[in-house]
Amino acid sequence: MTDPAPAELDVSTAKPSFWRNLSFVWLVPILALVVSLALAWQNFSDRGVAITITFQSASGVTPGETTLRFRDVVIGTVEHVTFTEDLTKVLVRARVDKDVAPFLDDDAQFWVVSPKVSARGISGLSTVLSGVYIEGAWDQEQSEARQSFEGADGPPLVQPGRAGKRISLVTTDGSLISEGAPVFFHGIEVGRLERPRLTVSSDAIVVDAFIEAPHDRRLNSATRFWDTSGFSVSLGGAGLTLDFDSLASVVAGGVEFDTIYEGGLPVSAGHVFQIYPDEPEARRSLFARSTANAVTVAAEFGESLGGLEPGADVTYGGLKVGEVSTISADIEDSGDGPKIRLLANLAIEPDRLGLPLAAGKAEVLDFLDSAVADGLRARLAAANLFSSALIVELVEIPDAEPAVFLRDATPVPVLPSVVSNLPDFTATAEGVLERINSLPIEELINQAISLMASIESVASAESTRAAPDAVVALLEDTRALVNDEATRALPGDIRAAVADLRAVVAELKEGGTLENLASALARADAAAANIATASEKFPALVEDLRAVAAKANSLEAEELVAAATRVLDSADKVLGTDAARDLPPSLNAALGEIRATLADLREGGAVENANATMASARSAADAVAEAAEGLPDLSARLEQLVARSEALLAAYGDRSAFNEETLAALREVRSAARAVSQLARAIERNPNSLLTGR
Amino acid sequence: MENARRTHAVLTARRAGLIGCTRCGRVHLADEHHCRRCGSALSSRDVGSLQRVWAWLIAGMIAYIPANVYPMLLTQTFGKRQENTIVGGAIELLDHGSWGVALIVFTASVLIPIGKFIAIAYLAISMRTAVTIRGHGRQHLYEVVEFIGRWSMIDVFVVAILAALVRFDFVATINPGIAAVSFALSVAFTMISAQNIDPRLLWDAYEADDT
Repeated sequence: MTDPAPAELDVSTAKPSFWRNLSFVWLVPILALVVSLALAWQNFSDRGVAITITFQSASGVTPGETTLRFRDVVIGTVEHVTFTEDLTKVLVRARVDKDVAPFLDDDAQFWVVSPKVSARGISGLSTVLSGVYIEGAWDQEQSEARQSFEGADGPPLVQPGRAGKRISLVTTDGSLISEGAPVFFHGIEVGRLERPRLTVSSDAIVVDAFIEAPHDRRLNSATRFWDTSGFSVSLGGAGLTLDFDSLASVVAGGVEFDTIYEGGLPVSAGHVFQIYPDEPEARRSLFARSTANAVTVAAEFGESLGGLEPGADVTYGGLKVGEVSTISADIEDSGDGPKIRLLANLAIEPDRLGLPLAAGKAEVLDFLDSAVADGLRARLAAANLFSSALIVELVEIPDAEPAVFLRDATPVPVLPSVVSNLPDFTATAEGVLERINSLPIEELINQAISLMASIESVASAESTRAAPDAVVALLEDTRALVNDEATRALPGDIRAAVADLRAVVAELKEGGTLENLASALARADAAAANIATASEKFPALVEDLRAVAAKANSLEAEELVAAATRVLDSADKVLGTDAARDLPPSLNAALGEIRATLADLREGGAVENANATMASARSAADAVAEAAEGLPDLSARLEQLVARSEALLAAYGDRSAFNEETLAALREVRSAARAVSQLARAIERNPNSLLTGR
Repeated sequence: MENARRTHAVLTARRAGLIGCTRCGRVHLADEHHCRRCGSALSSRDVGSLQRVWAWLIAGMIAYIPANVYPMLLTQTFGKRQENTIVGGAIELLDHGSWGVALIVFTASVLIPIGKFIAIAYLAISMRTAVTIRGHGRQHLYEVVEFIGRWSMIDVFVVAILAALVRFDFVATINPGIAAVSFALSVAFTMISAQNIDPRLLWDAYEADDT
């Protein structure tokens, strides 16, 4: 039991020796400790900043595996997935690298990237294998860092920090505009629409759009936006027009913009533009600016205001200068009991009247005052030819009844009005219809039918049918004639005669007659030459010689003549042979036969028949041609008529049974006319088709 | 009683006045300071050995902490990244139903190292104090610890082989983690620690009993 005491003593005395004996090997655990602590510290300090993101759903997000990415580079990992306290949302806890944590401020957005197939393409395909990841986006500026974020459903349409301009678009029909729909400029995508939302105060739909950087300079006060979504089919004067933009815009909708006129003023971010239904409308809108500083005047009309609606145009010289704002009735107490006045309030825009933009109410009224004095009156007019909608037009009628501009009337100044010439319009429309009605359509059709009938009767007549037969018979006869023995023998005879002639000529040649003749002539020539030379010296001799020559000459000529005569005689003999003599008769006989055949034919009346048939066919064709000349005009007119009636009837709106029937009838007439003109043209081109049936 | 009887039967070299050379094994009388055969220094007991044992043991234990905290294997399959610690890997194997492999991994990576720490610490403590176990238990324990030390490396071998073989880029890639290094260090430190034990000290307890 006393053992521990000495042991303790030993230890205390050994203490200095402990330090002296301290081994260097203790450095190893110290080093290990330091390294481990350093490792732990490094790990701890490298550990990212914890953030929480709330999502509506977190499909595919796995703790420890799902990564957080920024520009597709991993910047963190999801550590934990849980719910918010009320279980309404999913809470994702993640750690992000310390380097990027300071950038996570208010504009940071997170969304889950998963494979997505949409009208604009396929995205996130890489996540099929690797699993989903959470992508973040934020700008390059550091501000107060946050630790909790609200996750988005999808990538933001505009990456934070992207240069560009955000504007607002207003429309009344949000059905064709969806989130993410493209914004085009001349067909090039330059921006995206964001989520459309209803304004609190009115029915308008506001959708923010972001126009990317270089293109946002194109925005100015002259810019107009219009809807390019879907496709439009229009039937107009230029025929059928099918109009649609890219497939994506057909599916997802889209808007396009352009600068309508030069000299627009630059706009700042957040500027509000209106979306027009289509491009023509947008371009027309040049004349449809806001009625912000419009001056309201009233016009009293003594006639029915049916067809006049708020929003109807107020035109001056054909240009829109304002709108009908309200229509109201006013009871006026005149001398003989209360009287109802029909009032239309007109919102007139000063700048449309050519007054300066900043013109106040007083200036507008001044202008109207003087204009009324010069004969300016309000008048109802038809909005267009085919509708019953009305507009108010301000017209200058120099010889109008004197009237005054009731400038001080309450509640608004009153413009004097004149009675419109609206009934005329109805009359015109009726006249058009009547004219259509009175067109001799039935007569025309009857004529066409009878024409067809006569053509048919001509074509089916016995003689017409017989004509081909007769012609065929004629040809048969001719062929028989040609095949006749005598006709065939004729060339042989002629050939034989020619051969004989050739033999006679050959005989003549062999007989040397011509050579003799030639040599004699040559000798005579030589002699004559001798004589000529001799005669110069010896004239007497010349005389003798000449006599000799003459004698010789006469002698030879006689012989020659005799020989020639002999030749001719023999030729005559040759020709006088039976074969030669038979030739003309046989020729004659052949021709005679032809002639007789033709005579037979003539007597048979076939030719007359054919001639008559052809003549009648020609006259029929001529008649058709004459008719055809008139037909194109007629059918053109019919075409116009049908088109006009169609438009007219279309303008009448509801497709009643009457309309349908009328249209159908007119279309039939048109097609009938077209058929007739085609037939006529065909006959004109090829009358034979009447005969051949083709 | 039995213990006491046994210790009496022990006669240590020191008590017999002899010193064995630790290098060549020649026995000298106690007054010799250098081995007459090989010339190395002679001491009846290695007085610094306990210090070294403790130092290496503590180093090994320190290294064992990151070996378990940090991932041993970094597995990447089809873009999915997975980090497994030693115990986590064993549990995963268990989940997959590989009882045998899980048992081997757990034994080699957890049981043996920890058992070794305990055994070495016990041996080191028992040399200072008169704690004894029955018979030659401590001597057997020492032999076992020395023998088994190298087999703890089985985990490191597995990691090294896997990391070298599985390199299919996107499909599958295995990389060793920090834990692999620290585990290897831990095993190495404990082996050095075990080797630094001077087994002659184990007999001192019996000597002390006698005095």
